[in-house]
Amino acid sequence: MKIVVAYKWAPNPQDATVDAAGVVDWTRAKPGISEYDPVAAELARRLADATGGEVIGLTAGTKRVDASMARKAALSRGFDRAVIVADDSLEGAGTTELAAVLAAAVRHIGDVDLVITGDSSVDVGAKMVPTVLAGQLGWPAVGEVTAVSGQAGLLRVERAVTGGAQVLEISGPAVLAAATDAAVPRVPGMKDILAAGKKPVETLEVAALGVPASSGTVTVTDTSRPTLKARKQQMIDTADPAAAAAELVRALRRERVL
Amino acid sequence: MSANTWIVVADNPAIGNLIEIARSLGGQVSAAVVGPRAVSDTVASGGVDKVVWFGEPGQAPVEAYASAVADAVGAASGAVLGASRPSDRVLLGAVAARLQAPVLTEASSVSADGDGLVATRTVSGGIAQETVVIAGPVAIVLDGGPVPAASGTAPVDEVAAVPLAMTVVETNASAFEQVDLGAAHRVVGIGRGLKAQADLAMIEALAGACKAEVACSRPVAEGLDWLGKDRYIGVSGQHLAPELYFAIGISGQLQHMVGVREADTIVAINSDSNAPVFKEADYCLVGDLYQIVPALTEALR
Repeated sequence: MKIVVAYKWAPNPQDATVDAAGVVDWTRAKPGISEYDPVAAELARRLADATGGEVIGLTAGTKRVDASMARKAALSRGFDRAVIVADDSLEGAGTTELAAVLAAAVRHIGDVDLVITGDSSVDVGAKMVPTVLAGQLGWPAVGEVTAVSGQAGLLRVERAVTGGAQVLEISGPAVLAAATDAAVPRVPGMKDILAAGKKPVETLEVAALGVPASSGTVTVTDTSRPTLKARKQQMIDTADPAAAAAELVRALRRERVL
Repeated sequence: MSANTWIVVADNPAIGNLIEIARSLGGQVSAAVVGPRAVSDTVASGGVDKVVWFGEPGQAPVEAYASAVADAVGAASGAVLGASRPSDRVLLGAVAARLQAPVLTEASSVSADGDGLVATRTVSGGIAQETVVIAGPVAIVLDGGPVPAASGTAPVDEVAAVPLAMTVVETNASAFEQVDLGAAHRVVGIGRGLKAQADLAMIEALAGACKAEVACSRPVAEGLDWLGKDRYIGVSGQHLAPELYFAIGISGQLQHMVGVREADTIVAINSDSNAPVFKEADYCLVGDLYQIVPALTEALR
């Protein structure tokens, strides 16, 4: 079985700063493997080990995603090899463009039985790359996936729904987005990190992949800090908890909140 | 001349917000509906101009109709809207791919602007806000809103579709009690300040006393597993706008607050006077939640 894990190398917004005009400064934010991607890698590794398959890490982004540290971080996550599209033309690329590039790379890899992604990326969090990727490939897509088993050509997928879970059978390749709590990923040990440096990496260029152009444009015309509701920030002294509780309830009733 | 707007519906007719926005853009509003006839009927009488329905799905999951939905939408030149729910995102993703249209998420407002659209949205988990202008087709993910009230009946065009090769073979109910937090007027949120799972009883007593639902920050649901994932409020969890929100033992980090800052009134209880939550609260109680929560429950009785 050939399993591709599409991962992202991106900075955490927690480490970015935003100025008074709402311009985000990412320069101090160091990129890393996007926080939910290791869950996808864990599902892939378990399935590959159960079926005698291969796990291929795949990512697309600027030249930054092919830096030595980025390669090692990815390959220490249980991938047998990696395919990296590192092209500065992808600076600021949106969901649909990235999905088109990933789809082209999946076709290039050939005979892929399954693509697994994380729930969402740490920096954008749209939850849309897996669904658009599936659309680009013409394959089924399923989100909130908690378990996957089976073999090439017949996947058994468990997914969370409101009120419980469903088991689906999918004949043929699919794109699955792992639920955030689908698995506790193993932590890469020294062996994994050292072995990472020896695993094969293939790099691809966007121009060579043949990616369709976008049909629409989204242009940023203004930025600002998020508009927060003005809050009273009224302190209530809690030295006497009963008195504090009474004061709070009085205030909430006065405001007709209670 | 306004472009027409499409709405994709994945077995859940709670799309009132999508219809409202679609209508405000001018042009025709069409809906591509996957699900049983009842869902199609609700959408058809919800204020759209036309419904395309793919028939009873039988054992096929919603996602099996993603290609058919993309076929039905065809060569759209305007906006295609979808609710921020897993299956709806699958249908919308298939359309975005077919059209090679950009995707817009976290939009707080969308309106017509000449031949195109203008929208405001937050980025990167809510750290900043942008105004964007959009030209050409675009796929927009939005909060679905309520089930639309009935107002007239649009024609339903039933089309035969070949679903993708996927079937539902098993359905199981959850061990956790289900809740619709989005409908709750009052919510009590609990964070890592709670020391033991048994202490949830104290929180539930407060919630009962003020007729609130219980929710939590991410570590309580995902890490500790004390509450179901559907009760987790945050950037990748629920986004709520209740009348009253209690943030108890919650530090107030962006990843949590972004899911609740539209609440009308926020009360924060935390032992750390420097906790960021106090900057986003209307009433600030710096102290021990194990003393304040029982006192509050008592005062509410």
